[in-house]
Amino acid sequence: MEKNKNDGQKKSGHFLYRLKSFFSVQANVLIVFFAVLLLVLTIYPMYSVLHQALTVGKMDSMMYNSLFGLKLKPGDLSLLNFRMLLGNAYTAEYSASYFWNPLFNSLCMSALASVIAILLGGTVAFLITRTDIYCKPFFSSVFIFPYIMPSWTLALVWKNVFANSGVGTGVVGMLESLTGLCVPPWFVYGIFPCSIVMGIHYAPFAYILIGGTLRNMDANLEEAATILQADRLRILLKITLPIVMPALFSTVLLVFSSTMASYAVPVFVGSPGNFFVLSTRLNSLYNSTYSGQAFVMTIVLILFGVLLLGINQRFTGKRKSFTTVTGKSGQVSYIHMGKANLIVTVFLVILLFLISVFPIISFALESLCETQGDYSHLTLRYWLSRENIGGYAVNVGNGILFNKSIWSALGGSFRLSLIVSLIVGTCGVLIGYAVARKRGTKLASLVSGLAFFPYLVPSMAFGAIFLAVASRLTFLRGTLLLLILVGSIKYLPFASRSGTNAMMQLSGEIEEAAMIVGASWPRRMLRILFPIQKSSFISGYLLPFVSCMRELSLFILLTTSGTLITTLLSYFDEKAVSQMSNGINLLIVIIVLLVNFIINKLTGASIDKGVGGN
Amino acid sequence: MPRITLTNVTKQWGKFTAVDNLSLDIEDGSFITLLGSSGCGKTTTLRMIAGLETPTWGEIRFDDKLMFSSEKNINVPAARREVGFLFQNYALWPHMTVVQNIAFGLETLKWKKSDIQARVDEMLSIMQIEPFAKRYPAELSGGQQQRVAIARTLAPRPRVLLMDEPLSNLDAKLRGEMRTELKRLHRDMKSTFVYVTHDQLEAMTLSTKICLMNEGKLQQYAPPLTVYNSPANLFVADFVGNPAMNIIETTAKKTSDTTAELTLLGHKAVFQANAPFDLAGDTALGIRPEFLPISDHGDLEGQAYSTLPAGMETTVKIKIAGQILSSVVFGAIDYETDQKIRFSISGAGILLFSRLSGQLLASGRISIQ
Repeated sequence: MEKNKNDGQKKSGHFLYRLKSFFSVQANVLIVFFAVLLLVLTIYPMYSVLHQALTVGKMDSMMYNSLFGLKLKPGDLSLLNFRMLLGNAYTAEYSASYFWNPLFNSLCMSALASVIAILLGGTVAFLITRTDIYCKPFFSSVFIFPYIMPSWTLALVWKNVFANSGVGTGVVGMLESLTGLCVPPWFVYGIFPCSIVMGIHYAPFAYILIGGTLRNMDANLEEAATILQADRLRILLKITLPIVMPALFSTVLLVFSSTMASYAVPVFVGSPGNFFVLSTRLNSLYNSTYSGQAFVMTIVLILFGVLLLGINQRFTGKRKSFTTVTGKSGQVSYIHMGKANLIVTVFLVILLFLISVFPIISFALESLCETQGDYSHLTLRYWLSRENIGGYAVNVGNGILFNKSIWSALGGSFRLSLIVSLIVGTCGVLIGYAVARKRGTKLASLVSGLAFFPYLVPSMAFGAIFLAVASRLTFLRGTLLLLILVGSIKYLPFASRSGTNAMMQLSGEIEEAAMIVGASWPRRMLRILFPIQKSSFISGYLLPFVSCMRELSLFILLTTSGTLITTLLSYFDEKAVSQMSNGINLLIVIIVLLVNFIINKLTGASIDKGVGGN
Repeated sequence: MPRITLTNVTKQWGKFTAVDNLSLDIEDGSFITLLGSSGCGKTTTLRMIAGLETPTWGEIRFDDKLMFSSEKNINVPAARREVGFLFQNYALWPHMTVVQNIAFGLETLKWKKSDIQARVDEMLSIMQIEPFAKRYPAELSGGQQQRVAIARTLAPRPRVLLMDEPLSNLDAKLRGEMRTELKRLHRDMKSTFVYVTHDQLEAMTLSTKICLMNEGKLQQYAPPLTVYNSPANLFVADFVGNPAMNIIETTAKKTSDTTAELTLLGHKAVFQANAPFDLAGDTALGIRPEFLPISDHGDLEGQAYSTLPAGMETTVKIKIAGQILSSVVFGAIDYETDQKIRFSISGAGILLFSRLSGQLLASGRISIQ
């Protein structure tokens, strides 16, 4: 950048030379390349969303014409989609039911989920980093499970356990089946289970971010207060909490925006109780003939995301100024919990069992039930049958282990996830390198901002956008390429974040020391930079893989049900073959946990590094 | 081993000028220190010589070969300048052992396996780090890391060795030892050393010439003793020397080509310069602490403000006419606080500066009337 400045008195030949020398630095080439690429990949979809939001659809035109006495043709541009959804004299009720109430619900659910995530994750982070609680390694690895597993996992479990004859379809859940207890309807469906499930799903997020800060915080800061005879509580409130505050804010905002955009959970434990949020309404609008309004809603969701990101960046910008790694913070004196230790440990073990281990057991059990909810007759039929299971009005196929379509969908998911993670992880490393080398420049902040942008677009909307894109670029329609493209863009944020974090930790001198002995750029990347931050970079590959493996809402609009394991799962779920869907769920959870475990053991990479923890 | 020439080198970041029109001629085989407080542009200068930073203007030559020229659009990349660079934090690669760290550069240069082996062994023995050959940097102490960093830098036989505050992370004792070794290393290698430091003692003891910088501008470029005895201006006078030079504001009136009358600490005094000089405006007198000997029959009387015995010598802070002066006395003495002390101004190395420009006007003797 600096080379392009202050050459007013130079000749044009000089400008060409400067351009050439600018692009002889790899970081410059990369930063420009990604700036252009990301601009295209952001602007084009945004343009497409805006265009769709302003376009009057076929059914829209008929309705608008009769409502407002207009003569619109399908394809005309107008603001009517906005007027319709956001409300006017004619549609107050419609707009309340489709926009304002869901918006209010979304905000409440997200706020509650954030509070739950912070309380749960923050407490565990504090216990693990600051007290002498037992079995720390166990807690820190198992506590991440809810985030690794698909978000709907816990929702399904909630349903499996608490559904009862007094609510909704009257399917009998585990609790009623075993004890005869019926919990009230608000406990089964609605804002209560939605917030709790989302809160638990994102609690690891809070744990990773807050725990990272606590771990990096110089112990001297707390020790200084101890010397001044402040008691533990005072230190916690006056020293620790303010220092963790930025990480807390980061977590709240990330959890808040993720919850706003989440779809699967409100569908499972919200909609059956007539609890609708923006994302569920968004999906029904997409699937209706009034898709223009769906894009209006998408714009609203994106704006919320941008707002939250803006706030978040203000706080994380500040954050850097006071959490510095000094390298001496290793000697933290743990709080001795004495007799409470055992009680807290046992409590935590039970909690972790319920949110991390129990889902797996629940899926296994459900997949073994002869009849859904009846635990007295168990069968392996749904796993082992070599014949078509049938029995329902749907084509189910053989048992899970011998079912060709399940295996091919699993293969499809695996292949897609692998390709996506390779692309995304590599881009993450390169973006991280370019941003770290050009830190402080406008291009660098542009690239890191743009790379985070896909995080703000709800998966569902992302799918819809690329459906629209594919309708123009027809060669993409229904291809693996389209899925790869969508997946790669959607998962870029975390990969680029972990890549940037990792690169920022390396001083420029580490690379310069190799540069000065004449090591080429690829050699510096492969021999010096990548090996040093190996585990962080591989985490940048791992997270997209895991996310892609369990992704549903992103792909559901773009492909047929047999292509991916998640879309197949959703098919079985729709057809109410709960043994099969629970079995497949179990399969996904196990694969994801297994991959995570193997990569972690082999390379030291982990999901927490991928999320941006330290 | 080349001579390095910098001509009108300027480095700007936006509107901030880090190095301002610097011209420097570094002779072949010399040991130059770039001295200054942090942010004075010394590290930037070093990095521009290495090719890690691109100057905004100017020319850099190694012998007659242009390494950088903003006029002729020449910029030889760092890798082809054949320089060695020693980083402040060593920049050892944490994932490689000591041997791998040292061998990396040689492998990059495509040396033969046997040659690499031989050279690595040689470096290990020169730097006395054979026992740590298989260790990783994290398993070494600061001083050992420093030795590995030097071995890695010297292994490819660079023509120029550039060092960026290489000793600042070591403790005082180790720093002293490494200073001795660096000086020997310079003599053995016979290559050109350029050394950045903010520690004036390092600059004084190590270098053949000191380049003192302030706010991107060259203040003085001269051998250490010249810098010490005839500082070009008040900044240099104040920066070099410990305890710092006493600077006393005076009013002077010329009485002949080489003499001036002045008022000094409430006394009338005569300044007898060693050579003719010009006088304009307000002046300041610079007196090194060693030129203020304490004795019972000194011309001046003050009070002991504070006494700082360090064993070999003692720094005495003397309060006189509302000012505090430093005097250094050989041996250990301890004065009572506020005890009366007599002292005088001795020697021919008393400096007269212009207060307006800060420039040195003359050096000479003072006699109190």
